[in-house]
Amino acid sequence: MAQATDSYLIFAAACLVIAIVLLRLLLRERITLQGSMSYVAFLVLLGAMAVFPATTDRVAHYLGFTLMSNFLFCTAIAALAILHLRALVTLSKVQLRSVTLTQELALVQERLDRLDGSAQRGRASDSALRAKPSAR
Amino acid sequence: MRVLIVIPAYNEQVALAGLLVEVRALAIDGVAIDTVVVDDGSTDRTAEVARDGGARVLRLSRNLGIGGAVQSGIRLAHREGFDFAVQIDGDGQHPPSELPRLLEVAQREPAPDLVVGTRYAQAAEFRSTFLRRLGSWWLRIVLRVVTRARYSDPTSGFRLYGPRALAKFDETYPYDFPEPESLAIARAARLVVAEQPVTMRARQGGTSSIVGFSTIYYMLKVTVAVLLTYIRATRRAEGPDGTSN
Repeated sequence: MAQATDSYLIFAAACLVIAIVLLRLLLRERITLQGSMSYVAFLVLLGAMAVFPATTDRVAHYLGFTLMSNFLFCTAIAALAILHLRALVTLSKVQLRSVTLTQELALVQERLDRLDGSAQRGRASDSALRAKPSAR
Repeated sequence: MRVLIVIPAYNEQVALAGLLVEVRALAIDGVAIDTVVVDDGSTDRTAEVARDGGARVLRLSRNLGIGGAVQSGIRLAHREGFDFAVQIDGDGQHPPSELPRLLEVAQREPAPDLVVGTRYAQAAEFRSTFLRRLGSWWLRIVLRVVTRARYSDPTSGFRLYGPRALAKFDETYPYDFPEPESLAIARAARLVVAEQPVTMRARQGGTSSIVGFSTIYYMLKVTVAVLLTYIRATRRAEGPDGTSN
């Protein structure tokens, strides 16, 4: 059992390394805390499975897995698929918002250019009007 | 009557100057025509050419694709209270001289919300490539099956939008290969769509984004998109409780 626990500690170490990478990315503000919370949950789940192999083994057998490694990989694949789907939803939302923002920016910029143009024309006609009497 | 001509353009500096000359030459009694070129993140002088040609310019800071560009023009037309918006491609395929024919159809009773200029309803001077005609044939079938409506030229971007269509497409418009999908949205929103035979010509400059194998991707993507869009738009039109809005 001790041997089995030792071998699964490699998974726990891998989770720890990924957690450190995640923390570094968070500190550098390359990712947001809100977006990475599901990743943290995934790491905690996998880490717990590695640290408590006896419990994991019981759960695996209860769910019909003969080999615990199969259960571990299945869980990891399912969790990664969920994480990917979540990322896809977030990305799509951001894409749609980015399209709307780009359109709104262009509309506002065009309006601003027109206002700027008419203000310049107004100033030009004002100075022309002021210049006329003095010419007389 | 106020009409806004919307010209989506991506790297169309070659074709655009001539097109704007044709647009400026348009004179229709009782119709005030304004033109906006939607520069879809071009890397050439499209925006400058458009300004020199006397058009208003909506400059998108990044390339959104034809759908995003067209919707920008539609939003402008809707917000500024134009009676109609007419979409004309920036590559010069759509002769502005055909605009009065679209307007004539738009003013018939009952007034259609969307008038599509079709190149297949009569013998056309310009024939597109075999793959494109095949794609158009396939999309006609897809739209017929999904929406139970017949459209002779579902990929035509030569269109006139009435007030209801402007309101609908300001709210939602497909971004990728939008023409067939927008017909599905129009159908689900119970907009009245009319078709008017028009003459089209070969592009006057620039290159098409749909060539070779991308035509197959285009057909596959649009097939799925039409189905999804129609289901989504029908559900929206019916409201959350299943009642019609």
